[in-house]
Amino acid sequence: MPVRILVVDDEPNILATLAPLLRSRGYEVSTAMTGRGAVEAVERENPDLMVLDLGLPDMDGVEVTRLVRDGRTTPIVVLSARGAEGDKVRALDAGADDYVTKPFGTEELLARVRVALRRTESAPPQTGPIVRGGLVIDRERFRVIRDGEEVRLTPKEFELLTFFAQHPGRVLTHRAILKAIWGPHAVDQPEHLRVLIGSLRKKIEPDPSNPRYILTEPWVGYRFADAASEKPD
Amino acid sequence: MLNLRDAVVFTGSMAAIAALAAVPRVLPAISPMTVALALLLVVLGAATLSRLGIAIVVSIVAMLVLNFFFLPPVGTFTIADPENWVALFAFLIVAVIASKLSDVAQERTREAVSRRNEVTRLFDLSRDVLLTTETAGGLEALARHISRRFELARVAVCLPADHGWDINQGGEIPVVVAEADLEKALASTRGVLEFDAHARAYGGHVTVPSPTGDSVSLIPLRHGIKTIGVLAAVAPGVDLGTLDAVAGVAAIAIERVQFLREREAAEIVRQKADLASTLLASLSHDLRTPLTAIRVAVENLRQESMPVDARREQVRAALTEVDRLKRLFQDILDMARIDAHGIVADRQWVTPAEIVDAATAHVRHALEGRTVRVDAPSDAEVQVDPRLTSAALAHLLENAAQYSPSGQPIGVTATAGAGGLEVSVTDYGPGLDPGELDHLFERFYRGRMARQSSFGTGMGLAITRGLLAAAGGRVWAENAPGAGARFTIRIPGATRAAAMVE
Repeated sequence: MPVRILVVDDEPNILATLAPLLRSRGYEVSTAMTGRGAVEAVERENPDLMVLDLGLPDMDGVEVTRLVRDGRTTPIVVLSARGAEGDKVRALDAGADDYVTKPFGTEELLARVRVALRRTESAPPQTGPIVRGGLVIDRERFRVIRDGEEVRLTPKEFELLTFFAQHPGRVLTHRAILKAIWGPHAVDQPEHLRVLIGSLRKKIEPDPSNPRYILTEPWVGYRFADAASEKPD
Repeated sequence: MLNLRDAVVFTGSMAAIAALAAVPRVLPAISPMTVALALLLVVLGAATLSRLGIAIVVSIVAMLVLNFFFLPPVGTFTIADPENWVALFAFLIVAVIASKLSDVAQERTREAVSRRNEVTRLFDLSRDVLLTTETAGGLEALARHISRRFELARVAVCLPADHGWDINQGGEIPVVVAEADLEKALASTRGVLEFDAHARAYGGHVTVPSPTGDSVSLIPLRHGIKTIGVLAAVAPGVDLGTLDAVAGVAAIAIERVQFLREREAAEIVRQKADLASTLLASLSHDLRTPLTAIRVAVENLRQESMPVDARREQVRAALTEVDRLKRLFQDILDMARIDAHGIVADRQWVTPAEIVDAATAHVRHALEGRTVRVDAPSDAEVQVDPRLTSAALAHLLENAAQYSPSGQPIGVTATAGAGGLEVSVTDYGPGLDPGELDHLFERFYRGRMARQSSFGTGMGLAITRGLLAAAGGRVWAENAPGAGARFTIRIPGATRAAAMVE
């Protein structure tokens, strides 16, 4: 059964170019031009993924994300044209999985779509070790092994790494990470996160200044390298 | 020199003295002392109410009357008893002292009145100054207020400028003063702040002869201890303290004008920043969207597996978006030229029909599938800039197409008359909200319908207005009865009957 993608944009020519692109890669595509139409289409068709433009005439894309997320895990890739980081981050905080900024290339969009789809197809198991490249995270024994050698992590570092590894390939906003690791009261203290990321990278990255596992999404957050987005050595 | 008051006092005193002289005929037994005291009262009254001279004359007359009618031997001016000399001198001394006291009191009163007038004038001047909110011409207005309130025909507010002096004349006759004198007056006050309590003035006043023969007072304009300029006035009747107070108010007013100017400049900067951020947000969307569509379409075309009709659709999408970008760039360029005042009207003789034809041709893409009902004469000519006018009209046509349902007609009526060229564009859409009218021509304002669609940059009507302003014309909007919105442009210009083409 083909993978079904819902493309939501109010620009007819964006739909006219994106739909054939996705169809040519074997996806089944439906479209919507308004936020309300998008929410209805999700209810009706239950697509496997949604590509959502943030600038819709009737409803904010962030609001659409929130409505869809209320009960569904449909991956959402946001198209942001505004250049403003705020909208992107708000959409990600509301539950979107990833974003591409207009104008984007086709391969960029297709890669994000593949990553977001894989997240639902092969979410890491709730228990047991997570293996990512040369990194093994043994959640039961609180141990991390990098290239056969054990790495000593503090409890917070371990918690952060586990959180990352459970969401491979997905953009995690500063806010989302802070909330998951320190709790809701800490969401406005990004310096905690910066320090912890720094120390974690020193321990697990072969070259901390050119990270391979924990990738920075400038101004937005971090992304744990997925097998597809992992940088070649 | 007798004034009315002195005359009344003198006559009254004489009458009172005559009446007292006549008293013995009624009361033969009256004591001379009683009469003397009564006469003393008359002298005191005259001295208080009038001037010293009058008081002395009254006291001498009173003394003579007392002597003649009451002091023995009665009926002569001889004085028998030396005690009576004392009474006579008492009259004179009372007259002099009372007169002096009265003079002082009157002087004080006069001073108080003149102070009150001065204060009133200063108050009026301050009020004039505070009510002035315009910054352009604020200093001339200040000089005029000073001239008016203090009845000075020649007064000027002089401020040092980058090169030379900025002299703002306030009176009917200009004050002529050499810049060197102003420099000197300013230099002499810098760093000096003395207060002369008697003249009620700070130091630094200079009086210089002007080339016209008057002596010009130069009063430093001080704000705190800083001297910011010089008040130049030909004011022989006004005392130094008053001029100094005027200079004080003027200095505050100047600071205020400068403050208002700075605030205006800051406001302009802020508006520009707001505009710039709106422009950026708008451009970000309006540029990125077509670029995305074009890029994806072109990348799609590279895929050889795509069916032919899908490829054709990609070409169409890319070309439409290129067109959109082209229009966007044209709008941005027009806007920039309007901002830079780079548009100059080039008037030529054209018929209204030619203008309308050029405009409709320009926006043919937007008018697709619509009937445009044109009523424009080709037998009259009007002298306008055809390019500017048709460009402005084209934006109105595009606007009408954008804000009325597709398929609805658009009406264009053009006339060439005494007022120049007038062209109306009427659509059959929902019309305008009354609340919209104020914002229609603002840059980036987009009506309800455009906010829900992808077309339009929000610049069209602002460009129309800018273009027309450059051409000396104007544009306005209203709701047309039985139709939708109606936009009318009017450009003043000469008209004539069109030359017949053979």
